[in-house]
Amino acid sequence: CAGAPLRPAISAADVAAAEASQVHRESALARTPDWSMAGRVAVSNAGKGGSGRIEWRQDGPRYLITLSAPVTRQGWQLSGDADAARLEGLEGGPRSGPDARLLLLVATGWDIPVVALGDWVRGARATALAPATIEYGTDGLPRRIDQDGWTIEYRWAPDAAVDGETALPIRVDAIRGEARVKLIVDEWHAETPPGATRVQ
Amino acid sequence: GARDDLSQFTKGLTGLDGTFTQQVYDAGGKLKETSTGQVQLSVPHLFRWEYVKPYPQLIVADGKKVWIFDPDLEQVTVRNQGAEEQSSPLSALFEPAKLDQRFVVKETGKADGLDWLSLAPKTDEEASFRTARLGFAGAKLVRMEVEDAVGQRTRIEFAQWKRNPDFAASTFRYTPPKGVDVIGER
Repeated sequence: CAGAPLRPAISAADVAAAEASQVHRESALARTPDWSMAGRVAVSNAGKGGSGRIEWRQDGPRYLITLSAPVTRQGWQLSGDADAARLEGLEGGPRSGPDARLLLLVATGWDIPVVALGDWVRGARATALAPATIEYGTDGLPRRIDQDGWTIEYRWAPDAAVDGETALPIRVDAIRGEARVKLIVDEWHAETPPGATRVQ
Repeated sequence: GARDDLSQFTKGLTGLDGTFTQQVYDAGGKLKETSTGQVQLSVPHLFRWEYVKPYPQLIVADGKKVWIFDPDLEQVTVRNQGAEEQSSPLSALFEPAKLDQRFVVKETGKADGLDWLSLAPKTDEEASFRTARLGFAGAKLVRMEVEDAVGQRTRIEFAQWKRNPDFAASTFRYTPPKGVDVIGER
């Protein structure tokens, strides 16, 4: 977007309060390891990229990410956990490997930090990575997290702060060098809805 | 049968303008998306698909390039037009004569009050879908259903078809607006 908006600075006391509520929020998120979201994503990486509808289902460490193209909704799916990934639906048939990000990058040229994004997308620091720095907005929620070379910028619903520990972002942009993932969240589901098949 | 419906529908066809309602079901059969919009096409390879609800998205195939504009994401993705369009079931409208060359085509009879034509890719390697079928009523294409490689099912209902409209020149042209990321080779 054309120049970042003027960022009102927040006082040291507010930062401390925001940090406390962030820790609180992150432990609440850890208590709901099963969640899903539906929305839209645009990916770009050194001139390559694409966009589509995205559904992300997380059951603890296991993720199932479905991306669908416009019109025929031709889709592909990335599933797995922190140590193994499988990519299905692309030309050339299913692929699997230990690292989801690498698997996707090689197959599509798209650079999506899949495992870490599972935490970042909910506005939390990725647990298994190097320490993160967080910049808070006047609403006391993270405006930006920097971690593992990625910068993640957030937009929250106007009344999100009222939700306290259950607040979730509505827009997440992850940027690292030439790689960019722009995600709009249209729907959040905290628990896997009853009756839905768990991610095997 | 559906084959005659298709040939009648595409005989003397230079272009179409209509509306669509699209419903997408996950592999478990749960409805997960309903969107609506307009579609225009001009034989043999110009195409405009505009999602209006619930979110805007524009796809324009100008004969050389395919442009995908996501206003909310401020991104335009552009790629060369070609194989993907030919392997799409919609190519039945653009190049009916090449249908049997591209797909395994079968008439599967009447259901839901429509006459159906099923399309299956010849080789499953580079296919973009697992199965597709076109539903005709009164020699008019009214429904397209596609099942993709991961079991998602898309159903598109077409309505208000206008045949051979004279399109404004700009209908099948696209220029990205200012301030959006343009990804891919222009």
